[in-house]
Amino acid sequence: MANVRLVDLAKQYRRGNEVIRALDGVTLDIDKGEFVAVVGRSGSGKTTMLDLMGLLLRPTSGSLFIDDIDTGRLGDSELARVRARRIGFVFQEYNLLSGLNVLENVMLPLRYVREGKNGRSRAVELIDRVGLSDRTRHRPSELSGGQAQRVAIARSMVNSPSLILLDEPTGAVDTETAQQLVDLLKRLNQEDQVTIVIVTHDLDIAKQTARQIRLKDGKVLTDERVTPGVPAG
Amino acid sequence: MEIVRNFYRHKLRSVLTISGIVIGVLALTTMGALAENFNALLDGGVQYFGSNVQVGPPVGQAASLLPLTKIDEIRKVSGVAAAFPTYGFSAKPGAVSVVNFGIPDTIIASDPTEAAWGNLKTTYAQGHAIDADSSGEVVLGSTIDKEFNKKIGDNIELPVKPRDATPDFVNHPFKVVGILNVTRTAPDTFAYINITDGQMLLKDSLPFAVRDVIDVTAIAEGIDVYAKSGTPIGELDKIADRINSQVGGVKASKPSDLVNSFKQGGAIFTAITTAAALLALIIGGLSVVNTMFMAVAERVREIGLKKAVGATTLDIMGEFLAEATLIGVIGGLVGYGLGALITIVANASTPPGQSTLFLITPSLTILAIGFATALGAVAGVLPAWRAARLDPVVALRNE
Repeated sequence: MANVRLVDLAKQYRRGNEVIRALDGVTLDIDKGEFVAVVGRSGSGKTTMLDLMGLLLRPTSGSLFIDDIDTGRLGDSELARVRARRIGFVFQEYNLLSGLNVLENVMLPLRYVREGKNGRSRAVELIDRVGLSDRTRHRPSELSGGQAQRVAIARSMVNSPSLILLDEPTGAVDTETAQQLVDLLKRLNQEDQVTIVIVTHDLDIAKQTARQIRLKDGKVLTDERVTPGVPAG
Repeated sequence: MEIVRNFYRHKLRSVLTISGIVIGVLALTTMGALAENFNALLDGGVQYFGSNVQVGPPVGQAASLLPLTKIDEIRKVSGVAAAFPTYGFSAKPGAVSVVNFGIPDTIIASDPTEAAWGNLKTTYAQGHAIDADSSGEVVLGSTIDKEFNKKIGDNIELPVKPRDATPDFVNHPFKVVGILNVTRTAPDTFAYINITDGQMLLKDSLPFAVRDVIDVTAIAEGIDVYAKSGTPIGELDKIADRINSQVGGVKASKPSDLVNSFKQGGAIFTAITTAAALLALIIGGLSVVNTMFMAVAERVREIGLKKAVGATTLDIMGEFLAEATLIGVIGGLVGYGLGALITIVANASTPPGQSTLFLITPSLTILAIGFATALGAVAGVLPAWRAARLDPVVALRNE
């Protein structure tokens, strides 16, 4: 069963009289448990595709299915519910709330699914799995970039989503930390069978995923499944 | 918890915003307490004058003197169930009146059984009612009792002799047999004596030239007329009309005229004081609007993130509305607390014998805190709506 299915998905913007085709009729399936990298130059449509898959944007045309749910038929509140239950996000700038400590940041999504005690224990477990159990009460300002991104990864998984979307998650950290984060993502992908879609400029990161989708001008240029560690093509 | 932290992150701004509400609620509480006190005073008048027909001398008569035989004539008028003579005297003749929201100290002479007919009921803190047949007894209202610091069994000279009294000034000792509970209206400053003693004081008050000519046992200063219990005020008006047409030499006032004049006075005073305070509070509310718009502008990325992790439009609206409402609640509680404290201190500082100025009532408490809370919530609606409608994609990448 496909975890994510894009059918002729398109997103257009208007800039004056000009129509920008940010995503131009993309059709593809991403199966449950896949670890996918989306690569391409700036303006190729990577982030637009991620925003569409994360239900943050509505497509201009085409269909998007998450766990066989036709998201085009859903209203704003229902889309929010799908995001809360089925999708986790990780951003380049971490986007942790400075007023909350590590545990509270990880627990933030639970607020919108009305999870009680079980959610808290899940958050504590995830903080332990990302190796920050000694930082539970720390504020984001007291964390390094790598630690902050690990908190963001734990937050993305707290509602046990089937899909995690990462937008340039290693863009703000050094190479060594970036590799540690990718190792963490690989481990979570294998242990939890969660689908991971990572948008990145970094080809070294992309090479470590099982599938690379290359976009150009809003279209899929290549879509290759590779054995990790073996160069594609 | 997060809301409290948001306040704490911008301590000065939060304190200033809450202060705007505090000042408004403080004004509303003190002004409202002033109006409530005034209204309580007027309510006593409404209750008293709304339950009987006041009969006095006809228009144009110099002295307020009526033959007691008029009572028998009035009793024959259709609808009249009882009629009582009344006498009233200043308890402190010649005293210079200070600015006072209360009624001056007054000696009222009446039949003790009249109390059962009126709507304005009094209860005894100590002692009992005067005896209609025993002269020299007095029941004191709570304020006048405090002013003269009397206990049951003490004597009080009435009327009180002024400092500059002439040698022929006459007063009489009265034994305090009862002290009334606080009513916050007329009885608080009244000293009640029986009719025989009232007639004695009436004689004392007459000009020397006519004092021995007039038989005070045959006259009253006024007559209180009652219909059977539960008679509506419209029917009492008709009884007043019938008295005026059937009994000569008297003037019966329509209860509705008296009641309406009390109510109008109260309504105007309440409107002026409350409007001034509400204006102050609404200005405070505008500072909440400003603060919340600033909060939204500062937390655009936070809003984007919350939407990304599943917050609905209503969730985001609810969070900002809760924050604005909490500003209103805190401002309301602090402002009400300060306002209540000021009124308590001011009332406690009121000299004995003067009526207190402020009355905090449950309805005023609900109005002050409730309005501040509602104002905070309303002030948060527009900023919350703006926050909730933010595009998450734009919000997340906001610099």
